Amino acid sequence: LSGKEESGENLTHPLENSWTFWFDNPSAKQKQKAWGASIRPIYTFSTVEEFWSLYNNIHHPSKLAGGADFYCFKDKIEPKWEDPVCANGGKWTVNFNKGKSDTSWLYTLLAMIGEQFDDGDEICGAVVNVRSRAEKISIWTKNASNEAAQISIGKQWKEYLDYKETIGFIFHEHAKAYDKAAKNSYTV
Amino acid sequence: SDVQTDSIAAKKYSRDFLLNFVDKCLTLPENFIVTSDIAEAFIPSLSSSSVLIRDSH
Repeated sequence: LSGKEESGENLTHPLENSWTFWFDNPSAKQKQKAWGASIRPIYTFSTVEEFWSLYNNIHHPSKLAGGADFYCFKDKIEPKWEDPVCANGGKWTVNFNKGKSDTSWLYTLLAMIGEQFDDGDEICGAVVNVRSRAEKISIWTKNASNEAAQISIGKQWKEYLDYKETIGFIFHEHAKAYDKAAKNSYTV
Repeated sequence: SDVQTDSIAAKKYSRDFLLNFVDKCLTLPENFIVTSDIAEAFIPSLSSSSVLIRDSH
């Protein structure tokens, strides 16, 4: 393969937004008391080429250890409830059996960075949570009370993933107050 | 230029278009260092050996 580098100018394909990959290390997480203390930004990319350079070297969800969280958020938005852009938002979540989320995770990333959502401005980013018995992917949004935008994002996301089951949207505020007992505010 | 000007203006890319680049960008960005706190997220040998590239899916 050596010596076959592209010659001449390097044409790259810029993305509409810059995005940051974040990783939460499961072994470090056990030692940390404060939630979020072990989240690390990995790299911020702004072209199609940079995205693949990272993605091709990062484990897919099925190969990550249980407890790992992997995020892809718009640049300057931290994947935390406390972030001012996320604070009034919420999330759509899709659930998968163990080892079954790899393709949907990739398709979620491609739909986001390719700006395939009509209400893409509403999106903060996405996260895949890898647990010992299951995996789930969530898309975080900015203004949870904007029902029309949330419904549009949820419907389009299911189409892109070819996901047939009902999915739910939970306000971050409700998740904070009620933890696992928080109820879906919207479903599609 | 053969660049699709309408795509550049809106910067919207379909899944199929993006997937055209999957095999063209295999190595980590220059100067990128995998530090110990994020090492768990990375495939250890891909960037140093092209042999493993076919071992996916």
